[in-house]
Amino acid sequence: MNDEKLENLAKRLGTEAAARLDVAATARKVVERLREQPVRRITWVQQAWLRIAAALVIVLGGAVVASRLTPVRRSGISTHPAHFVADDLSDLSTDELRDVLATFDELIRTDSVAVPEGSTDLHELDAQQLRAVLRSLEG
Amino acid sequence: MANPLPRTDAAPDAALIAAWRDGDEHAAAELVGRHARPLARFLAGAGAPDADVDDLVQETFIRAFRSVDRFRGQCQFRTWLLTIGGNVLKDFGRRAARRKVVPLDDVVRDATGDPQEHAEASEVEELLAAGLQRLPRLQREVFLLRAQQGLEYEEIAAALATTPGAARVHYHHAVRRLKEILKP
Repeated sequence: MNDEKLENLAKRLGTEAAARLDVAATARKVVERLREQPVRRITWVQQAWLRIAAALVIVLGGAVVASRLTPVRRSGISTHPAHFVADDLSDLSTDELRDVLATFDELIRTDSVAVPEGSTDLHELDAQQLRAVLRSLEG
Repeated sequence: MANPLPRTDAAPDAALIAAWRDGDEHAAAELVGRHARPLARFLAGAGAPDADVDDLVQETFIRAFRSVDRFRGQCQFRTWLLTIGGNVLKDFGRRAARRKVVPLDDVVRDATGDPQEHAEASEVEELLAAGLQRLPRLQREVFLLRAQQGLEYEEIAAALATTPGAARVHYHHAVRRLKEILKP
């Protein structure tokens, strides 16, 4: 069989099926189906944005859940009362320091505190020495 | 709906496509009228069962109209439509194979009409139809686009996203194999 005969044969393929087709009816059905199921106008760009938005929701939601499940710990703030007092000593005036020391005098009488050498009275201590005394109270 | 486009037989496909993009249903119907029969021939030649040709033609047009934004005139509308028809037929074959649990090629080949229709078709045509089913899909489509639809290699290449040279090679492979099958 030569090429020409093969091509002629190929041209005849499907001619009966095509002849049986009711073109007007097909056109009508196609239009009806298009009307029933409108063309989706979502482009791939919109789909990509939807995916990005969904990913953000998942990440943020996960972060919120994780933060709620994890115990809160504020860094840099000690819960120890002695640290709190000691850090604030530099803000106190001389009179305020003396009031604090009067309170501690009561404590000193009952507890063993490492008083710097050469000191006989807490009132004689300067701020630096007072801090050392307070830190020794931390245990 | 947009105002229907005033048409004559000379109205190019591009104008009808543009009108359909604007919502003109008459333009869609006109395009179906122009290309339904060549599409039916292509589908039947590629192995579509006669009883399903109408449904497959409809499905092809539906897919084409829904994705018409992707058609940028890289080839003729009809050529683009035929390649969509090839995809529709492939999906049809897969669905049929899943339902019947038989090989895809058997589904397509064995369901080509009733015995009366087979009797009407010439023996050589039947052999050719069966031979086409034994070709790889790309070779089969290139052969039909070239031999049945009369398209140039450049046009076929643009539709199938390949080169004219590659399309030519596919065609010659198809012809050689079909000649072997049809050898007396």
